[in-house]
Amino acid sequence: MCDVEAKLIAWLDGELPTDEASAVERHVERCQDCRRCVTAYRQASETFHAYCDAVMAAEARRRVPRWMPVLAGTVVAAAVILLAFPRTRVEPPLVGPTINSASMPAPAATPAKPAPRKATMRGGHAAPRVQERVAEMQPMDTAIQIAIPAEAMFPPGAMPNGINFIADVTIAPDGSVQQVRLRQ
Amino acid sequence: MSDDSVSLTLPLLRLAAGSSEVTTLYRELRKPLLRYLVCLGLTSDEAQDVVQDAFVSLQRHMASGGNQENMRGWLFRVAHNQARNRQTSYHRRFGETLDGEKDFPADDATPEQLVLEREKLRRVAAAIRLLTESERECLLLRAGGLRYREIGEVLGMATSTVGDTVDRAMRKLTEKCNV
Repeated sequence: MCDVEAKLIAWLDGELPTDEASAVERHVERCQDCRRCVTAYRQASETFHAYCDAVMAAEARRRVPRWMPVLAGTVVAAAVILLAFPRTRVEPPLVGPTINSASMPAPAATPAKPAPRKATMRGGHAAPRVQERVAEMQPMDTAIQIAIPAEAMFPPGAMPNGINFIADVTIAPDGSVQQVRLRQ
Repeated sequence: MSDDSVSLTLPLLRLAAGSSEVTTLYRELRKPLLRYLVCLGLTSDEAQDVVQDAFVSLQRHMASGGNQENMRGWLFRVAHNQARNRQTSYHRRFGETLDGEKDFPADDATPEQLVLEREKLRRVAAAIRLLTESERECLLLRAGGLRYREIGEVLGMATSTVGDTVDRAMRKLTEKCNV
């Protein structure tokens, strides 16, 4: 083995001064043993690089995303809440114990037709807003209880005075009357 | 690992979007730094934290008018010291034999190529285990593109000592890898 062989790695790494590097280069062109060594060093370097890349790729595959624990915690919390508080039907309170329409003051006179709104940006959102509220109310069944005097339903004298009927009105999500049940 | 496979945390995204010298260094050195740190044994997340801290330190260093020569060596030195502080994971994995199918899948390789490639990596892993700590670190920093002088600055060694260490480590590696 020749003396230059000791400088081959530094030469490959570009760490030799220019004149020394030129001398090594000329020698390698002539010396078969040194060329063989250079090839072996290059291959070892490439294998080392490949190993480093493989280590990094393996680590990336092993890696659990940072948001995974947060997601897992959220899912568990949601499951616990759903199990602990199953969906219950909310019954809205009845509108007063009974409303006697006979005792209610006459409604104030309202204009037959509301004044037309000005076309503003805000006004443009009015209709969707109402729809949103209807949508919000959809899960609930609305029940209204209305007291109706018998004399308002039957001709005078057909029923004794002082008798009222209770109308249980169920309102559909779209606002229409779904069911009316009369009871005394 | 591709550049995109490691998600960027917010401060690094700001760095990547900027146009300063720090940004240039970030684009150039982020991947070599990550690879160096992962090879030292840090997890991918730990390595990203260290790289982020190193670049934040670099920004402070430059803003305070610190010496701006050899920033590459400076960054590797900061990252290296931070990795050292994480003693639990330092050198945890480097030199381990990779688990063939799990750690080194090769999509396009034929079964024969796959066997040869895995055998080559198995041999280099065995050779790495025979290296001393400073030999490993020198080779890793060399693989990160650092000059001997820069490696010496990172590891606190004289340049001539780095040359000798790299030479010795490469001979061991070559002997074991090219059997």
